[in-house]
This record gives sequence, C-alpha cells and structure tokens, in this order.
Amino acid sequence: MIAVELRKLFRRPRTWVTIALLNALPVLVAVLLALTDLAPRPGEGPVFLSAVLTNGTLYPLAALAIVLPLFLPIAVALIAGDSVAGEAQGGTLRYLLARPAGRTRLLVAKLVSIMVFVLVTVFVVAVVGYLVGRLLFDVQPLGGTSVSGTALSSTEIAWRTLMAIGYVAVSMLGVAAFALFFSTLTDSPLAAMLGALGILVASSLLFTLDAASSFAPYLPTRYWLAFVDLFREPILWRDVVRGCALQGVYVVVLLGAAWANFTTKDISS
Amino acid sequence: MVGVAVAVLAALPSLVAALPASDAATSAGGLRQRALGSADVAFSGYAQAAGGLSLPVGDQLTDVADLLSDRTTMRAWYRGADDWRVDVVTPTGETDVHADAGGSWTWDYVHATATRTPPAPLALPTASDLLPSALGRRLLSEAHDDELSRLGAERVAGRDALGLRVVPAEEASSVARVDVWVDADSGVPLRVQVVADGAAGPALDTGFLSLELGTPAASVTAFAVPPGADVREGQDAQLLQAASRAGREGRSRLPAALAGLDRRSIDGAPRSVGVYGRGITLLAVSPLPGQVAGPLLDALVVAPGAVVDDLGVRIASGPLGLMLVDGPDGPVLLAGTVSLDALAAAATELTGGDS
Repeated sequence: MIAVELRKLFRRPRTWVTIALLNALPVLVAVLLALTDLAPRPGEGPVFLSAVLTNGTLYPLAALAIVLPLFLPIAVALIAGDSVAGEAQGGTLRYLLARPAGRTRLLVAKLVSIMVFVLVTVFVVAVVGYLVGRLLFDVQPLGGTSVSGTALSSTEIAWRTLMAIGYVAVSMLGVAAFALFFSTLTDSPLAAMLGALGILVASSLLFTLDAASSFAPYLPTRYWLAFVDLFREPILWRDVVRGCALQGVYVVVLLGAAWANFTTKDISS
Repeated sequence: MVGVAVAVLAALPSLVAALPASDAATSAGGLRQRALGSADVAFSGYAQAAGGLSLPVGDQLTDVADLLSDRTTMRAWYRGADDWRVDVVTPTGETDVHADAGGSWTWDYVHATATRTPPAPLALPTASDLLPSALGRRLLSEAHDDELSRLGAERVAGRDALGLRVVPAEEASSVARVDVWVDADSGVPLRVQVVADGAAGPALDTGFLSLELGTPAASVTAFAVPPGADVREGQDAQLLQAASRAGREGRSRLPAALAGLDRRSIDGAPRSVGVYGRGITLLAVSPLPGQVAGPLLDALVVAPGAVVDDLGVRIASGPLGLMLVDGPDGPVLLAGTVSLDALAAAATELTGGDS
C-alpha cells in the first residue's frame, strides 16, 4: 500500500511542479547575488547568505534557510493536507477503504509517502543549491570557517550539511502531522492546508513575543533555525536534540488524534 | 488515550521542576568562601541571562545596553582563571571571547572580525561578565559576613544549589539584594539574581541551564584567527585613553570619597577615572570627551524618568544609576549601582557645591 501511495504521489505532475517552484526562489537569489555581487549585510537576510559569495559550498544551507520559513512549510502542508481530504473531495476515499487493507494502514501509507516527499524535497533543494553554488560562486577547496571561527574541512562541511538536511526534514514533520490531522477532519484539502499554515503563522508570531515565553519551548517552529547550531564548534546539540524530540511529540500526538478520528469517521464521499 | 498522553507530556516539565533539592547545613560565611574558592573548578556549561534594564545611552554604548536589556544565551568552557571561552549564541551567529594569559580574543562571526584585547585595569562589561560563575564570585568577593544570610536550596541546572543572600550595608546602594545559588558539590555559583530597591522582580537574572564539571579540551578554548577575518584592536584601551585625555585638561583631582563611598585604588587606571565603593555598591566617575557627552546628554534628557536640574541629568534603570554632570573641567559621567540621591550628592561634592 505504501508503494501504491508513493507511486501515486510522485506520478502527479503537481508534486514535481511544487518541488520545481520551491527551487525557483533560491536559484533566483543566487543569480541575483552572482550578477550584482551584493550580498546582504552580515547579520541581515537569511542565515549563511552573506557567506556564500566567498564560499559557494555553503549555498545548500543558504537555499534551505531561504525556503525554510515559508515556502517549504507551504509545500509540505499542500501535499499533506491533500492526502486524505483530497481523496474525500475526489470521491475516491470510499473506494480506497473498500479494500481490505483497513484505515490504519491507509493512514500509515499516507504518512510514509508524506515523509518521503519531505525528504526528497529538502534533498532536491540542497542538491540544486549545491550545483548553483558551485556554478555561480567561488569555491574554496580547503573547506571553510565554522560559525565559531574554526576551520572546517570539506568533508566536515559535507557531513554537517547532510545532518542539516536531515534536521530540516525532521522539522517539517510537525507541519506534515498538523496538515494530515486536519486532512482527516475535513473534506477540503485547502482547509486542511490553511489550517496547518495558520498554526505555523501563529507559532512564528508567538515565538517573537516575550509574553509568550512560558510556552515558547513548545511552539512547533521554536527550534527550526537550530540547524545553524550544527555549524558551531563544538556542535551545540541542545536545540537540535530538543527540536527533534519536539517534532516527535507533535507527530505522535497528532497522528494519534488523526488515527482516532479517521478510524471512527463516517465516510460519506 | 491520546488526551492522557498529552496531559502527561505537558505535566512533565513542572514535575521535574518540583523535584526537591537537598539543603546542607553550611553557614552563610562558609558558603561565600566555597563560592570564592571555586575559581579553579573547571567546567563546561550553557547559561542564559535576562536583563530588564533599559539604558537610554544613544549609539555610544549599545553593546552594554543590549547586554542589560536582552536575553543573552551563552556557552562556556572554563579551564582556569586565564584560560576560558564564552560564546554568546544568537540564532544567526555568535560572538566568542577566548581568554588567555595575555588578554583575550573576541571572534564576531557576523562581521567576520577577530579583536585582540590586552588586559585592562578597567573595562566595560561584556557578556562573559554575566556568566553566573564569574558574576557570582565578583558580587560575593567583597561582601561582609553581616551582609550575608542563607536561603534554602533550589535545583539549578539539575544540580542542588544552596542559596546565599547579600543585602548591601551601604546607604547609597540601589541594590535591595543579590541572591546567589551556589553548587553544593563544587561551590561554583549557578544562578545570580540582582533585585533593585523597590522592585518586585530581578533586574538581572542569570543562571546555568546545564553544567558539566571537568576540564574541557584545550583545543576548545584556544583561538586561531580564521583566514579572511578582519583583525582589530580592542576598544577599551581607546576609551580609557580618551577619558584620560579628557581629564588631562582639568586640574582638579577626584576626591578620596564621594557620597559616603571610599575611592578604590586601581593599578594602571588613568588618574582622572575614579571608582568608589565596595562589593555590590560601586560608583564610577569618568570625564567624557565632548563628542561622546553630547549625544549621551541628548539621549538622557528625553528618556522617561530622567531628572534634570542644576546639577545635570540623572536617571535610574533598575539598580543602575547614570548621571551626566557639567563639571568645572567639562562633562563628567557618573555611573553605578547607587541611588539617585547618592548620585546627586556625589555630583554636588564633585562640582564643589555645598548644598
């Protein structure tokens, strides 16, 4: 069933259009930077962007930082929100459930295919970022400098970048879980997607508010930027570990709720 | 079932926080000695400082003002008194101070600069001064036994910490009390809260969130200038020189006592800069060059709560008092943990008035 769902997801042109659009912005930013040579002032703009003019191998990270706040969550919410509600809207959900596979297995299959989508998307953004960075910017063969000012070899940059890709993918799981949960509540994929995005916008806003600091550590977007910590020396694991655990909790709780809701739902369409 | 799981998860942090801390029968004086003796205890830690002070100082001292008004997240590695590193971590970069026997290197990632600062007799506060271990030892260093009392015990950074309260004896002081929580095992101060006179909450609250005893690797505290970095020289020396120059034209000497506080002798400090007081109650007096005093005056005059009179302009933010006096030889800055009345008294004594 998982293979069926994956095939369905990656055969849809919409999936690939989403991924392509997601890559458009980092590529545009890279072209503009390379043409004008005007990097944002240090400390402004997305993380690592001011550093890429001198070292193009950092561009995958800059690309991830560009799409992380808005574009990536939108793409994930779009696909995850569509997963169950889309079938209901298209009138195919009851045929899916007519198979003896059961609702739990369908939900698991949907979840796995969303996770694969998240991984593929983040990976494609990073690979495109790498290619663009190598083509358009200077590349330092000896590696680069960590945030803490120590030297990093090319291999170290490579494996830390891989960890950052993994971490960004994990960070997106919470969004996916919200959208999947809402997708079991409604027959409208748009409502499910907007619901998940609403949660994210609220979370980002509350995070900036001192008055909300008592529950700030539990906001789903709280640790999103922690992938920067992987480039400190020594690596600051604290927020990365917390970020992973927090996403894990959101995924478990929301999937539990989605499962409880979906297995007892009357399927009318 | 899902609801129960969520409830358990949500309750976990408060359950952990409610774990009882075990107290020990250490006297207040003994606990102070233990804290002061912990300067050779090596550790690595992660700390956060929250300051509630807003300093209207304009563009000249923004670093200091940010330090006292914001939340500062720090990573620290401490091998000894002259071999340590403190990183101030921000979401998009960090500023690291690496101290060695000959001074310190400051690495600023955002601006890609490495700044070498030689040891100075007087320096503006930096983030590393807010580390609970350093701040706690400094605030306890000159406390008298009759100013100390014991508080119970608390858990800080998952460790048992014994509470010690300092209530300054000086009448001029603007600090109501300082609470220091000292690690029961090692004596390292784990948390410091400074409460101003008449305030309900702390004006400064700094504490470790995690602490690991043991010597960190030498490679962690060492510093090598990264390729491509801009190498600069520290500002503190220039500031002192400027203060010294500004004071040279004046013939008047600073008095031996101000507002009931005795002058401290600091080796190597310019003659025109004076520091008065003891322990928590300190008052610094320095002549200011005109180009610094002008903008500062503009910022102070319009700040809410500023008192402007014949003596000059003075303002209090939490326990910190700031005053700009138009002295006989040019503008003079008074700053410290003293009350507004004490600032006014000091200004009167400085300008030679008798009222």
